[in-house]
Amino acid sequence: MRISIRQGLQVALPGTPEQRVDPGKQVSSVGFDGADFADIRCEIMVAEGDAVAVGSPLFRDRKRPDILFTAPAAGIVERIALGPRRRLASLELRVGTGKAVRFSVPAAPARDSVQHLLLESGLWTAFRARPFGRIPDPGSAPEAIFVTAIDTYPLAADPKVALQDWRTAFAHGIDLLTILTEGPVFICQAPGENLVGERSKVRCVQFAGPHPAGLPGTHIHRLLRLRPGRRVWQIHCQDVVSIGRLLESGMLAPERVISLAGPGVRRPRLVRVPAGASLDDLVAEELTEGGMQILSGPAIAGREGLFLGRHHWQVTILPYQQPRRGHDWLPSFFAFKQTEPVIPSEALEQALGLDIPVVPLLRALSVGDVETATRLGCLELLEEDLALPAYASGSRQDFPSLLRSTLDSLEGSI
Amino acid sequence: MIRGAWSPDTIAWVIVAALLPTATVAVLEQGTGAALRIGLSWTVVAAWQLVFGIVRGQRLYPVGAVTAVAVTVLAPGELALWQLVLALTFGTVVGELIFGGWGRNFLGAAVVTLAFLFFSFPEAGHDSPAASAAVAAACLPAAAGLVVAGILSWRIVVGALAGLLALTALAGADPGELAVQGAFAFGLVFLVGDPVTAACTNAGRWIYGALAGALMGLFAWGAAGVGAPQAVVFAALIASIFAPLIDHAVIAAKDVARSRRNG
Repeated sequence: MRISIRQGLQVALPGTPEQRVDPGKQVSSVGFDGADFADIRCEIMVAEGDAVAVGSPLFRDRKRPDILFTAPAAGIVERIALGPRRRLASLELRVGTGKAVRFSVPAAPARDSVQHLLLESGLWTAFRARPFGRIPDPGSAPEAIFVTAIDTYPLAADPKVALQDWRTAFAHGIDLLTILTEGPVFICQAPGENLVGERSKVRCVQFAGPHPAGLPGTHIHRLLRLRPGRRVWQIHCQDVVSIGRLLESGMLAPERVISLAGPGVRRPRLVRVPAGASLDDLVAEELTEGGMQILSGPAIAGREGLFLGRHHWQVTILPYQQPRRGHDWLPSFFAFKQTEPVIPSEALEQALGLDIPVVPLLRALSVGDVETATRLGCLELLEEDLALPAYASGSRQDFPSLLRSTLDSLEGSI
Repeated sequence: MIRGAWSPDTIAWVIVAALLPTATVAVLEQGTGAALRIGLSWTVVAAWQLVFGIVRGQRLYPVGAVTAVAVTVLAPGELALWQLVLALTFGTVVGELIFGGWGRNFLGAAVVTLAFLFFSFPEAGHDSPAASAAVAAACLPAAAGLVVAGILSWRIVVGALAGLLALTALAGADPGELAVQGAFAFGLVFLVGDPVTAACTNAGRWIYGALAGALMGLFAWGAAGVGAPQAVVFAALIASIFAPLIDHAVIAAKDVARSRRNG
């Protein structure tokens, strides 16, 4: 099946990566940024100075203690920083030598044993459930699983290149996904040859068009639109490869191919690095002259931080810009407490690839009107879906965060 | 993180730039009086924006230029200074600033100002066809630029032209007469096409445009006379009053369609 997305915007940026994987990139530390787990209260299971192997548990969800977060590399726990309300601020591992934990792979996979394997290895955290975008509850089953094998963000790595050495592992991973759901497993990919053979529950769908054609939100909207009571999961194709490699070897192989690109990179290219690689290590000796802003994630949605984000597949380096303040020339008695208005424009109409009126939605979010936002369909969305509308609005309002607080209040009331 | 170029400030300045050809033609046709009127009007609007900026912390945008050029192009009659200042004050404060400023208003300040003028001071002589064919010509590049920039919705323009032509055909009038009326062109581009007060769903934009165009035709051929600024201003006023309702109906219709599909 092929679906063309008519909406969309090209965000042009210099520093397009060469689509060839450079395997030689070394990092000396890996870790987790609390920003990626803002909704989770963690119970830390290691202490500073402990030696850990690849795949050993580091912390877990206090509310759902089966959900483990495991070490993406072997080494020593260097630093554990807690933030407000005992939430994890950051956890850093110094990469050393060490073994990998060997997991017992069930011979005849059944739902329970598969779920246990994923939880134990930490790969369960690769799933995000919609609505709300949380790590799914163990024991729950989605109506469908959406595998994201297309990336339309500016300067993204081509998933086809990232997958090329791991096609069998990918197919194995897909087989395992079919055990987790009664419904279909959609492989959403760019136009071209199908990434896996289609089977009864496995369907390849080709999406054509500019961003947001590559977002799971767009795929779900076209293929199995969320409605009350419906739950679907999304997972990135490289996490599926990790699952496949876990099945093949019994060991966690949390590598990912990411794009290291942007106007501030000397040689923009794809690199193979461990999950959670330190951003400082990643960009060492890569930058051009001048002040730079290092983003984990794409230019329109990334965040600054210490480590590569859980759901980020690129690092974007932009020239550092002074925060835009506007109206600077006015005397200080102008306080401008007011947020910027949402002015409708064609760019904004193009920015959300869904059949949801974007201007009323942004207006509802900006005034905190949860009821209207729900009626317009905000439950179908996650923060990533609003990154392009926020970009197109050119506004200083952080619509993804506004959506998150709206979703949080809705989740509390359900 | 990067942000797109189309911030509210940029959009406001692009609209101001689009007014330049029209303002130039108005000054060439009406003489320095027009330049004075534009300058004075913009000053009055800006003064009220400053007041609300200080008292309420509202942001400042240069969109007062639309009101300033509109009162010059569409209401060139003999007005006393106090009449003009009163109308501008009413239009800016009641039309825009009490709603939180530009971007949050549901009626355009220019439309409210002109409606106030036409209602309160009919003796000033607004009846003669005001704006010339040259004004209409000057609106063309502005419209093209605004559509390309994505600020003026082409759906509204096409919808309004369709509505206007339909009403013209119904009235059995000559559509060629419309082309030389500057008031129509200016009203369509800057009053009806104002992105803030127009409908903001794509289906709604068609309906809103058609409604505005049909009302223009109705008032022009039925009551006020061809090219009368009243026809344009009141059509824009009524259409923008209905715009939120149109959007609401479009969204409700989508809701119904979706829940029917879901069973």
